[in-house]
Amino acid sequence: MKKRLLSFIAFSLILLSGCSGDGKVTDSDLALLKTTNPPAVLIDKNTRGNMDLVENIEHDVEKMKELYDVAVVKSNGDTLVAYKVKHLQRFHMKKIEKKMTKMLEEKYPDENFIVSSDYKIFIEAVELQEKMKDPDFTDNKAKKKLDKIIKLKNEMT
Amino acid sequence: MLKGKQSWVFQNRPVIAAAGVSGGPFEANGNLSEDFDVLHDDLWMGEDSYEKAHRILLEEAGQTALNKANVQKEDVQFYIAGDLINQITPSSLSARTIQIPYFGVFGACSTSMEGLALASFIVNYRGADHVLTGASSHNAAVEKQFRYPTEYGGQKPPTAQWTVTGAGAALVSAKSAGSNLPVTTSATIGKVIDMGLTDPFNMGGAMAPAAADTITAHFKDMQLDPSHYDLIVTGDLGRIGQETAYELLINNGLKIDREKFKDCGLMIYKDDQPVQSGGSGAGCSAAVLYGHLLNQMKQGTYRRILVVATGALLSPLTFQQSESIPCIAHAVSIEMT
Amino acid sequence: MSKKTKTPEQQQYEKLEQKHELKRPVLKNCIRAFWVGGLICVVGQAITYFYIYFFNFTEQTAGNPTVATMIFISMLLTGFGVYDRLGQFGGAGSAVPVTGFGNAVISAAIEHRTEGFVLGVGGNMFKLAGSVILFGVFSAFVVALIKTLLIIWGVI
Repeated sequence: MKKRLLSFIAFSLILLSGCSGDGKVTDSDLALLKTTNPPAVLIDKNTRGNMDLVENIEHDVEKMKELYDVAVVKSNGDTLVAYKVKHLQRFHMKKIEKKMTKMLEEKYPDENFIVSSDYKIFIEAVELQEKMKDPDFTDNKAKKKLDKIIKLKNEMT
Repeated sequence: MLKGKQSWVFQNRPVIAAAGVSGGPFEANGNLSEDFDVLHDDLWMGEDSYEKAHRILLEEAGQTALNKANVQKEDVQFYIAGDLINQITPSSLSARTIQIPYFGVFGACSTSMEGLALASFIVNYRGADHVLTGASSHNAAVEKQFRYPTEYGGQKPPTAQWTVTGAGAALVSAKSAGSNLPVTTSATIGKVIDMGLTDPFNMGGAMAPAAADTITAHFKDMQLDPSHYDLIVTGDLGRIGQETAYELLINNGLKIDREKFKDCGLMIYKDDQPVQSGGSGAGCSAAVLYGHLLNQMKQGTYRRILVVATGALLSPLTFQQSESIPCIAHAVSIEMT
Repeated sequence: MSKKTKTPEQQQYEKLEQKHELKRPVLKNCIRAFWVGGLICVVGQAITYFYIYFFNFTEQTAGNPTVATMIFISMLLTGFGVYDRLGQFGGAGSAVPVTGFGNAVISAAIEHRTEGFVLGVGGNMFKLAGSVILFGVFSAFVVALIKTLLIIWGVI
């Protein structure tokens, strides 16, 4: 009987892992397992000043010692900050989020921040960052993708 | 003939002319599988409900007993049977099939000996030439009624017992057709004992005082010494109940050899079967006595045995209403002619 | 529970019986429950990640399909007669996760199948799990009520 159970678990693991085998393994595929440290992404208005702004945001967020991986995506409207919380700090997720929002809003009062610790949002942010490398991926498409991520974030259970 | 306070002596020595035993898959893997006449490898037994399968068990056991004794069912005057299901329907429906005038009896797991005592009494006083008596239980049907659904993953404590899927039936006759047959010589009817235990997962512990009380009463009424019997066997006390009953008997001043004090619930299964404290159920004592023990007697291992079947007279309703568990035990002594 | 006073005779017997009673192996049960329960949760976590990766679910929203999948798996295991053995081995470990709830519902449904679909399955399906639902909903109501009042009074 135990054998049957074991083989069942093995089978379900194979089933779960077998689906991802499309050959190329990108960072977004592994975003759950390892620290990716993606560079900050800027959509639209690609000026020197704006780029500095995004990078500054990323640095500021990374300074928080409860986190270990941060992805920042900025378009002209919204700035998405996705981050991973260190495992033992996950008990204080709400507090960290509050603290971060406060810090960001005080420092960059002109920006509109969307802050999320959700893995899904992080994965999507990394994926967006990867796609931006492709010259065919227009800013318009990127903006649409960002809007989709934000919509996903606001979705309630 | 009444002897002492609560015992009958059967001076005409009714004969157990034949017996039939049926069992389920779990019993087929047990210790005593070769003593079963009919074994099923499926709990459903080809029926569409466990209750029907329960009835089939008893019908097969009864039919096997009649076939072995070479007696037609028209020649049998009475049929005494019982089980654990609500309103003892499996027994009553088997009586509908077999069409013999019927007494339905209920003594929980002590039903087997209650039936045998009554059958012997009737036959002893020429109330009948042949009486068929039996008891049965079906694991899934009984667990469904008394405990949780069969597939429910609740953890059973080590004191719990496993309900036997099995039935035993015996034909008690006035005159013996052949020699070398066991006879019933006396019976002691027990009174209900309640020691205030409330745990339905520890039936053995609740029933032990009833067994001790009946055994003590038997030896007092019959003015016998425990060494009179080659074996004193209890119905379904299980590991805990049996140890407890033995200590109670020693405390009562009976010198019983530990080797000669056994329990049907411990005999029927192998040690490695997951039955916690042993087997239980009305079919447990019936199947072990009418199968294994009678065979052993015929082979000469035992000459005189005392069978004490114990029953816990609770219902799911009473224990949910926090009633304690009242218990009973009946003893029948069986000898080789 | 009405505690009836026991007679001295009953108390004496209880003492004698206790001596022979097999104790539940509490420590062993705890360790087993820890591993079995943990294993079930690992499977659940794997399924959550599966939904996050391959479907548009966030950590927040992946809970519902995960629970449904876990109950579906426990339904299969119950039907194949594995879950009750797992329950005997793992005890609370297999009873506390949502799979235990699924098992309670499905086992009752299987058990009463022979009594027909309406009165049998329908009437008895929740005979074990029904009280979980009732008291779960009720306690959720009470907690929500308290929280609402605290917010109105401005405590939180």
